[in-house]
Amino acid sequence: METFLQQLINGLTIGGFYAVVALGYTMVYGVLKLINFAHGDMFMWGTLAGWGLLTTVFAGLLDLDLIAVLIVAIVVMAFIGLLGMTIERVAYRPLRSAGRLSPIISALGAAFALQAVARNVSEARWRTYPEGLLKEMPDLHLSGTVGLSGLQILMLGVCAAVMIGLYLFVQRTRIGTAMRAVSLDHNVSRLMGINVDRIISLVFFIGPALGGLAGVMIGTYYGSFNFTLGWVFGLKAFIAAILGGIGNIPGAVLGGFILGISETMVVAYGPDLGLVDASAWKDAIAYVLLIAILITRPTGILGETVAEKV
Amino acid sequence: MKRILAVTILLALVLGPLSLSARAQEGDPILIGLQGPMTGDFAYEGQGFEQAISLLVDQINAEGGLLGRPVELVIEDDAGDPTQSALVADRLVDAGVVAVIGAYNSTATEPASEIYNEEGILHITPSSTATRLTEKGFEQFFRVCFLDDRQALFAVMAMADVLGAQKVGVLHDNSTYAQGLAEWTRTYAEEAGLEVAYFDAINPDDQDFTPTLTNIGQADLDAIYFTGYHAQGGLLLRQTAELGLDIQWVMGNASNNPEMVEIAGVDAAAGTFITTEPLPQDLEYPEAVEFVEAFTEAYGEPPASVWWLLAAEAFNVIVHAIEETESTDPEVLAAYLHEDFADYPGLSGPIIGFDEKGDRLGTIHALYEIDEEGVITYYPEQPQPEAEEAEADA
Repeated sequence: METFLQQLINGLTIGGFYAVVALGYTMVYGVLKLINFAHGDMFMWGTLAGWGLLTTVFAGLLDLDLIAVLIVAIVVMAFIGLLGMTIERVAYRPLRSAGRLSPIISALGAAFALQAVARNVSEARWRTYPEGLLKEMPDLHLSGTVGLSGLQILMLGVCAAVMIGLYLFVQRTRIGTAMRAVSLDHNVSRLMGINVDRIISLVFFIGPALGGLAGVMIGTYYGSFNFTLGWVFGLKAFIAAILGGIGNIPGAVLGGFILGISETMVVAYGPDLGLVDASAWKDAIAYVLLIAILITRPTGILGETVAEKV
Repeated sequence: MKRILAVTILLALVLGPLSLSARAQEGDPILIGLQGPMTGDFAYEGQGFEQAISLLVDQINAEGGLLGRPVELVIEDDAGDPTQSALVADRLVDAGVVAVIGAYNSTATEPASEIYNEEGILHITPSSTATRLTEKGFEQFFRVCFLDDRQALFAVMAMADVLGAQKVGVLHDNSTYAQGLAEWTRTYAEEAGLEVAYFDAINPDDQDFTPTLTNIGQADLDAIYFTGYHAQGGLLLRQTAELGLDIQWVMGNASNNPEMVEIAGVDAAAGTFITTEPLPQDLEYPEAVEFVEAFTEAYGEPPASVWWLLAAEAFNVIVHAIEETESTDPEVLAAYLHEDFADYPGLSGPIIGFDEKGDRLGTIHALYEIDEEGVITYYPEQPQPEAEEAEADA
């Protein structure tokens, strides 16, 4: 039982990170029906930018590490948000009427460009965040050896706050309503007086900004990264978004947690079931799960079936 | 243009045999080839080879040479590239060398070894560890470095003899190298009577290994050997500490990198063991100490890599074989190395001998520990493999 609880906590932590990154995929898909493949690398840029700031400009402020990380997270969110808007303006908007394939290719191009620059900036080495960042926070002991570290509590708390905040923003505010309108139909939204380009720009600010936040969180939590982080993590988060129903915010969160926990459980209990080399099986099983859910629910777990417009 | 070419060919035809016949005469230098990456990605290693061997050549010539003849080193640059390697090998053959030391990397050593085998030249690599190199039945090919399975044997002895472990685990990362080393470790551990209670792999693309670590914690091991690379090694150590688990890690040589300590954090890394090829200055053998001193005197700093020392080792083995057989016939030298060469006091430790494939017996690996300051230091207590293995091989 103790082991199960510990593995559940492990899975929740992994799933929480998938979920925050998945939000970025799902928001962009919601308004543009575009899979923004550059999102994973924008998120990696968040980790990179956070590393750059914490090891240089904010290196003197590390005694107050919570404040330093908070400021860095805000700066990085603004930076990655602007980066997202720029990419949308340069690489996606000119292709908006060019069918569905061209923007996806353009997104892949943006992803590779971001990754190549990050490779050079980081000199293709593993980079580490300052040691002992946020280590001094109180732990929570549940029972025996099972528990959450202070950092884990903070990360899960931030994940939850972001998801709830975003959900309320989209459901309860005027701008959120406009976003939902744009996701239904660009032309009708325009007729209703909504500035569609501005809403899309805003989505391309918020989505990447959340990615940037996730980037700083991952850097702080795991302590090290290299330039391929965005590709691997981004792919998993993308799967989480599809799993939950792409375009659906609670769905992305649910997908992230399902993926994180199921991966963890395969590694945890696979060997008992005779799976040799469970961590290699883990990905296979995650993808089989994806296929199984998509076969039974093609639009994802929480995805809504929209009636074909005639 | 054509005429110049014709004249050149004519000259080569006339002078070629002349230079060959000149080789055999008394008092003419004994030519020994060095093939290595003097340029390119591994230039650092190739240039170190040259420094290490030149030092010994100068010493021998200062003491009156070998069999009364001076020794001359013929250096060719293969840039670590297999295509270059074949060209360079032909050039060394044409120069009339008795033996060749090189190349640095297995990829470059392989094509050259084919050529030296055909031409009947003694060939010793100081540093190429790919198993298949000695699987071809080449009578005149040897290596003074060790195959991966020797490190596995060493790791098992380190865990059993130095750490006193009974119940051990092995973790790899599914790369060819790490998986091979892990499987050898399991085999040797079982042979040594240890219980291998955990054997699994991680996916090196992952960032979070807590599910695997929770399992390892459950297995209640005395020690676990990780054969993968340093970035994952660092994450494993860091997350072990975060989970509050008490796991005794032993890392393979792919994790021997100060960056691992940086990734893990000093506190999480302290107390971890590493099995690896030792730094030259950590070798205690008198021959090694003497060589490192001479090297430092000549070049201002100690040899930076153990492969440089092994290049010098390869040269010494060739010289020793020539002295003992009083011959410069590669076939005679190779036969001697296979059959009569034993218990030679090498720079990197006693060379028990070579097996029928040309691989060196024994091990060079050493045990290191990450100390409280996070520095990878030579561990005072080392397993003693030579004695045990000599028994096993006898």
